[in-house]
Amino acid sequence: MSELLPVFLDVTSYVLILVLVALGLMIVFGMMGVINMAHGELFMIGAFVMVAAQGAGLPFLAGLVLAPLVVGFLGLLIETALIRHIYHRPLDTILATWGLSIALKQLIVLSFGPESQSVTLPLDGTLTLGAFSYPLYRLVLMAVSAVLIGGTFWLFIRTDFGLMARAVIARPTTAATLGIDTRRMYRWSFVIGTALAGLAGALVAPIISVDPQMGLGYLVPGFLSILVGGAGALAGVLVGGAVVGGVGNLLAVWISPVAALITVYILAILIIRLKPEGILGGRRAK
Amino acid sequence: MLEITGLSAGYGEALVLRDVSCRIAKGQVTALMGRNGMGKTTLLKTIMGLIRAQSGRINFDGASIETRPTHLISRAGIGYVPQGREIFDDFTVRDNLRLSLMGHDAATALPFDKIYGWFPILKERETQRAGTFSGGQQQILAIARALIAGPKLLLLDEPTEGIQPSIVQEIGLQLAKIARETGLSILVVEQNVEMVRILADQVMFMENGAIRESCDIATLRRDDALLHRYLSV
Repeated sequence: MSELLPVFLDVTSYVLILVLVALGLMIVFGMMGVINMAHGELFMIGAFVMVAAQGAGLPFLAGLVLAPLVVGFLGLLIETALIRHIYHRPLDTILATWGLSIALKQLIVLSFGPESQSVTLPLDGTLTLGAFSYPLYRLVLMAVSAVLIGGTFWLFIRTDFGLMARAVIARPTTAATLGIDTRRMYRWSFVIGTALAGLAGALVAPIISVDPQMGLGYLVPGFLSILVGGAGALAGVLVGGAVVGGVGNLLAVWISPVAALITVYILAILIIRLKPEGILGGRRAK
Repeated sequence: MLEITGLSAGYGEALVLRDVSCRIAKGQVTALMGRNGMGKTTLLKTIMGLIRAQSGRINFDGASIETRPTHLISRAGIGYVPQGREIFDDFTVRDNLRLSLMGHDAATALPFDKIYGWFPILKERETQRAGTFSGGQQQILAIARALIAGPKLLLLDEPTEGIQPSIVQEIGLQLAKIARETGLSILVVEQNVEMVRILADQVMFMENGAIRESCDIATLRRDDALLHRYLSV
C-alpha cells in the first residue's frame, strides 16, 4: 500500500495538470473551431514566467499570479492579430498556430537559451504518515489544479458567462440575433483558455524540467485526451485526461516509458475506432 | 419605423434581393408572401445583418443599420424568430429566455411575468429542457425569447411551418393581441393564408427578389386574385 500510494498520487497530479492544459484546448476548439497548436508553447511560457519571476527575486506566489496574466495577455494579442481571422477554418488554424508555436519557442530560446531551467520548490517539506511520505508541494499542486478545474466547470456551467458561451458554441448566429456579441465571447474564451495554460505551466515548473521544448509533451496528450474523451461536453476532457494520462503514467512506472506510449496510442486508436465521437460523445449537429 | 430603399443582397455572386424598397410603420403587422425561393427569408436575414447588403439602405428608427453587426441590430430593437425556431435544446425554458435578456439592455426588457402571462405554457414548463418540446411549443418559446428583450420590431420567418393547425391559430391570435397591446411592429414571412388573415394589417408580395405589390388585409379578404398570382405554383 505504502508503495502504491505515491505512484497513484504521481499519476493523479499528472492527470490534473493534463486536464488543465486540455481544458484550454477544448474551450478554444469547441467554441471557435480553432485547433491551437501553440497551446503547448503558452503552457511553456507560463513556466518561463515563473523562471523569470524567481530570477527577479519575486516570491513563488507572485509568479503564480503573473503567469496567467502574462500568458492571458499574450493570448489576447494572438487572438487579435491572428486567430480572429481564421475562426471556423480548422485546417488554416493548424497551420497558422503551428507557425506561431515555432516562433514562440525560438523567442524563448533567444531570451533564455535552449538549456533547461530550474525553479525552486516553494515548499520543500514532505508529508509523512507512518511508512508513507510524499512531497508537500505535489499535494498542494493537486489541490490547486482540482480547484482550478472545478472553477472552470463552474464558470461554464453555472454562470451567465457560461450560458452565453454555451449558446455561442451551440448556435453562433442565433446567439448573435439575441444581442450576444459573439466576437467578444470568442475573444474572452480564448484568453481564459490561454491563461489556464499559463497557470498550469507555472504550477508544474518546480517539479519538471523547464525548457523551450516542453510544450509538445503536454500538447499531444492534451489533444489525445479530447479525442478519447469526446469534444462534446466539457466533462469529456476529464474522462480523456484520466484515460490518457492515467494509463500512460502507470505503465511508464510499471513497464517502461516506451511501452506506455505504445499502449496509450493503441488504446486511443481502439477507442476512437469503436467510438469515433469519443467516450462521452462529440458535438451535436447544429 | 423600418424603411428599406434599393436593397440588393445575396450569397456571393448570386444576387437574391434586387432593388427591394418597402416601409413598415410603427404598430403595423405586415405579412410578406410569395412562393419559395423568392427571397423572403433572405430579406429578413439581411435586415438582421446575417447577410450583408451589397447596396441600398436599411433605416430603423431614424438610423441606418445595414452595416452594423447582428448583435447591435438586435440591441437596436429588432427581434428575430428564425425559420426552424433554433431554440437551445439543452437549455431550460427559463435559460432560453434569460439568454435573450443577457444580450440586451435591461431598460427595454419585459418582466418574466408579462411573457408568462401571454404564454402560460412556458410558466408551467419553466424548468423543462426546451429540446423536449413539441414543434408548436418550441415556436412559442422562440417568439417569447425574442419578445422578452422588448423589441420594437419583430421579424418572424414562417412561424407556422410544421405546426399543427390548432396551435397556428392560437399563436396568430396571441401575436395580434400583443401587437395591439404594445404597439409592436411585426414583419412576418408566411405562406399560411389563415395565419395572414388572423394577424396582418398589410400584405406585401415578393417575386424574384423584389416586392411586386402590396395591399391591405381588407383588399385581400375581398379578392384573392393576388394570392393566386403570387402563391399558386
